[in-house]
Amino acid sequence: MKLSNYKILLSVILVLTLITGSVTAGKVNLTFDHFYDGPAVTKALKDLNKAYPNLTTLKSLGQSEEGRDIWCLTINNPKTGEDTDKPGIYVDGAIHGNEIQASEVCLYLACYLLDNYNELLTITDLVDSRAFYIIPTVNVDNRSRFFEVATGYNIGRSAMVPYDDDRDGLFDEDDYDDLDGDGEILTMRIADPFGNYKTHPDDPRVMVRVKEGEQGEWTRLGREGIDNDGDGQINEDTPGYLDMNRNWGFKWQPPYVQGGAGDFPMSSKPVKAVSDFIITKPNIVFNFAFHNSGGLIVRGPGSKLAGRYSQRDVKVYDFLGKEGEKIIPGYEYIIGGQDMYTTHGDFDEWMFSNNGIFGFVGELFMSEQEQYRPPKDDKKVDTEEDHSYYGGTSAEERQKFNDFVTQGAMFKEWTKFIHPYFGEIEIGGWRKFTTRIPPLFMLPEMVHRNSALVLMAARHAPDIKVELIEVTNLGNDLRRVRVRLINPNAIPSLSNQAISKNIIRKDMVTISGSGFEIVSGGVLQDIHYDQVSYVEYRPQMVFTSVPSFGTREIQWIIKGKGKAKIEYNSIKAKNQTLSIDL
Amino acid sequence: MRRFTPLLALIIIAIVVFSTVSANQSQYPFITPEKIKGVLDRIVKESGGKANLTELAVTPGQRSLYLLEIGKKESGKPAIMVVANMEGNSPTATEAALKLANKLVGDWKGEDEDHIWYILPLGNPDGYARFFNVPSQALMVNDKPFNDDNDDAIDEDGAEDLNGDGFITKMRQLHPEGTMIVVEENPLLMKKAEAGKGEVGKYRLFPEGIDNDGDGEINEDGFGGVNPGLNFPHNFKHFTKTAGRWAASEVESRAIMRFAYDHPEIAMAITFGRTNTLKAVPESSRRSQASQSTYKLPRWMARQAGVDKDTKLPLSEIVVLGRELFDYPDLTEEQVLQYLDAGAAVNPSKKDLPYWKEISEKYNEFIKEAELVEKRLDPKSSRDGSFEEWAYYQFGIPSFAVDFWTIPEPEEEKSKDDSGLSIDSVEKMSNDEFIALGEEKIAKFLKDSGSPSQYTAAMVIQGLEGGMMDTKRMAKMMRKNKKKDEGSGADETEEALFALNPDAFVAWQPFDHPTLGKVEIGGMVPYSTVSPPTEAIDSLLESQLPFMKELAGMLPKIVIDRVDIKRLASDIWKVEVWVVNNGFLPFPTHQGQKCQRPSPAVATISVDLKNILDGKKRTVLKLLEGSGGYSKAEWMIRAPKGSKIKIDSHSFSAGIDQREVILEGGSR
Repeated sequence: MKLSNYKILLSVILVLTLITGSVTAGKVNLTFDHFYDGPAVTKALKDLNKAYPNLTTLKSLGQSEEGRDIWCLTINNPKTGEDTDKPGIYVDGAIHGNEIQASEVCLYLACYLLDNYNELLTITDLVDSRAFYIIPTVNVDNRSRFFEVATGYNIGRSAMVPYDDDRDGLFDEDDYDDLDGDGEILTMRIADPFGNYKTHPDDPRVMVRVKEGEQGEWTRLGREGIDNDGDGQINEDTPGYLDMNRNWGFKWQPPYVQGGAGDFPMSSKPVKAVSDFIITKPNIVFNFAFHNSGGLIVRGPGSKLAGRYSQRDVKVYDFLGKEGEKIIPGYEYIIGGQDMYTTHGDFDEWMFSNNGIFGFVGELFMSEQEQYRPPKDDKKVDTEEDHSYYGGTSAEERQKFNDFVTQGAMFKEWTKFIHPYFGEIEIGGWRKFTTRIPPLFMLPEMVHRNSALVLMAARHAPDIKVELIEVTNLGNDLRRVRVRLINPNAIPSLSNQAISKNIIRKDMVTISGSGFEIVSGGVLQDIHYDQVSYVEYRPQMVFTSVPSFGTREIQWIIKGKGKAKIEYNSIKAKNQTLSIDL
Repeated sequence: MRRFTPLLALIIIAIVVFSTVSANQSQYPFITPEKIKGVLDRIVKESGGKANLTELAVTPGQRSLYLLEIGKKESGKPAIMVVANMEGNSPTATEAALKLANKLVGDWKGEDEDHIWYILPLGNPDGYARFFNVPSQALMVNDKPFNDDNDDAIDEDGAEDLNGDGFITKMRQLHPEGTMIVVEENPLLMKKAEAGKGEVGKYRLFPEGIDNDGDGEINEDGFGGVNPGLNFPHNFKHFTKTAGRWAASEVESRAIMRFAYDHPEIAMAITFGRTNTLKAVPESSRRSQASQSTYKLPRWMARQAGVDKDTKLPLSEIVVLGRELFDYPDLTEEQVLQYLDAGAAVNPSKKDLPYWKEISEKYNEFIKEAELVEKRLDPKSSRDGSFEEWAYYQFGIPSFAVDFWTIPEPEEEKSKDDSGLSIDSVEKMSNDEFIALGEEKIAKFLKDSGSPSQYTAAMVIQGLEGGMMDTKRMAKMMRKNKKKDEGSGADETEEALFALNPDAFVAWQPFDHPTLGKVEIGGMVPYSTVSPPTEAIDSLLESQLPFMKELAGMLPKIVIDRVDIKRLASDIWKVEVWVVNNGFLPFPTHQGQKCQRPSPAVATISVDLKNILDGKKRTVLKLLEGSGGYSKAEWMIRAPKGSKIKIDSHSFSAGIDQREVILEGGSR
């Protein structure tokens, strides 16, 4: 008894020391020499929240199918206003559970913003003038499982919603199996003179497709597993499949049109939780959703069904996308549905088409970065199947990179195994933290450059300035007041999508005061030619928006004089007031 | 309160002054959303344990969405889901659902032990609550606040009963911008002026009310938001006024779909509302990618298959190509359509249509026998984003909608020619009978009935022979043409309503409007087209509800029909099983096969995996057509002579069956 009480006391003291330790440190300095598993992501967020209680709030948006919390860290300086009064930047990661490094980008971004507040002028400005909503992990279930169960780099994309993949009336009954017990699901192959593959002449680990008429050596048997349900197929009904990035509401299509769509829009719990949250933050102007891989900065539309984006909005996308290409060398700015493949019901489409918010998907990491070649040799070869993941680096070259840069950590040698069904086979291949995921030494640069991309876009959130152009006496006690709204940044105060589909209230510019009455008001179409589109009713209140890198001029004609207050009120940008003397 | 403060006084006055019963809220004691719980509780109490009540959700207006469950649950027992009044504008539908529930636990007690009934008597309680409001205004939306006009305030500009008659009708104002004119034959009605006919537009129309927020718009942002009856994901329409921002955005639609997906025993959906797919089978006339006959291959597939990327191929050929390309012999047309990104189905499957047509004929006979012979206006077709469309197109089950009543068609003068042919009599003829009249008579009939001259008799005969046309569709087209030509130009429904009940229109009376100046207020009373005359309601329901039992009786019923045993070698046997569908409807529907719902029927053999030499222990049964359609399962097994084996057939919603056989020489 005594001993155990002592132990408890000791551990309490220990925990207290740890907590106070992390709080008093001031800086959290998250390190990126490792990947954060599920609990570690939560702990990092709690640490950040504890270290910066004045700048952050940490909130669980809801629970996943398996009961894990979906955390959102809001970074906002309340001294400069409520979060919803400022342009909001939304960033999330790992809506696909196996695309793990997306969470690290989010953690790095959060930590960088906080640790550099009052250190770097740019960061201080950004934190003071914007609100950041950061959800490091949307698919909390499968990202956690990536660290906890035997798996592979391509496994665990789905939400944990049971699905009868093979249409046999049973759900999730034939998962992968870690046959050799190494904690990873790798590839199986069997010696087969009639197989489609042979050993690469230069590297016995690499298989290449045989040419027509050529003798084969191997048949690929897919990923590690057995026929759990005795239906003659292997791994044909694994856990899931609901792809959370096909479960959103804009032009959602059912599973027979879009695989993984789920039962209906927002049927998965994390998607519902996140969408409910986003609806409460109409100030969001821009979103970034991180995935892997391919080194891409992707915008919509994802499908023909989603329709075209207007040229005014495309110009904004193009500006941000092309700046992004400069920040991350090698990454390409593309249009999802046109340059990649059709997607229905994805997050970005919902954000833009349904909510009028600009946004990108960031496909983190590209295996072109795993090079082993003399400088300036741009050869690009695809040899292995799944070539999209291997990009421009051939399998032999990757093996060299594996041998001499990562000291063999990436590939598991082919090893004999007696399979209950196939007999003697070999198991081996690229290990789980590879292929879509960078080697650890590349992680710090990846998280930094991608955070820099978000910060660039954040700087381009609308900062609207209001200035007085003139007060002109027209005689008969009439005065003409002209003001100008200026947006020096790329993101307009409202997207054209939001305006044309009447999604968000337009910016309101009002004039008030005593001693005068407002005769008319409106937006100046052309200040040089005096073209005004008059507001017929309530001329004191003009509804408008401020374009990308542009201005908007507003004119009132008033009768009388006195002190007037001009207020600019926007859902997205920060409100402004201007006092003038007439 | 917050929303209506400026109007409160007006409303109170309206309620006090006009406590007389209005034309739409007739004497029939419709059950209000507030009283429905009591009615349902009583049904549960009187059912003697047969019925249960569940609350599926709570609406934005804090009203409950109730679901009544009737019948004992058993494995394989099918359930019928009845959803009523999803749009909140169909009082008869809610009454029908409650009456049906009452009958199932009362009059019909013990008659139907083969089905479970899930009855949702009121799918849109918030919207339906407005039906009882005074002044009455046809708003079928729930109470979710919605900034319709995206200005600085929410729900700030609703309607007002300016003339205090208890109805929100219309205001008309003489104005150069006006596009409407008074119908000559009936000054209560208005129609759009047709410039091509020399008609000059005179009136602008507005809903009755004032510009509360001074923005120049009248009633542009009234109370509430979304019509959950338009919020289901099949053919959902974005950016409309009341369907919601996206499909499944509302608690009502989400709760109903969640319930359905959680209950795989649901085999059929019946919607009580404003549409009727029994009276007339939905036409398959929408254009869609999914019904194209030839397709271009996606680039990557064309490259791999060595086909030119611009060549269009028929689906059947792409399936063959795909099977080779993916080395996957089971590749189906449905899977290929997914690759081709052909989009969702928008027309009923051609292979399901014969079933729907037969059911429709049965229904029409049924109502004829019930002496509901009055000729009525065509029912409205199913709306985009409706429950009944979702149930068929995405949930994959047979889905029917019944409206119980539409306005009677006004008597039309019979145009008869010398040969005694009228559109009505032609409609009743078969194609062959009509063709047999001969070209001369047909030509005369076409001329007399005012058909456009380009429709020659020869052309019509050709169309009928080729199956592109039938007498019924022809009659419908001719009526439409005739109405266009000869009619007053007024709205068909309004004219018919006037013929039925002239009181459903408020005569136009001058009113001095605060911002518009001189206007007149009048027009159709809200909700006056939605429910039958009071005295007819009971008999309409009594006579049509029994057909729901008939529908239930048409569900697929899967049984093991025949088991053949052949001895191939000493301990080696071939087992062949024919599983047969004894119901009328197929399992699943052909659309269900396409959308991979519901869960398939499976035949299982009680033999260890290692002793099954060929065949799958659990064999998924392919689609079983109705009326005796079959699917076959076969196995080669190893077992000693005289062993007993069990064959099971299982489905969640079309029955389960079991057969025991002893392995003996010969067959059977």
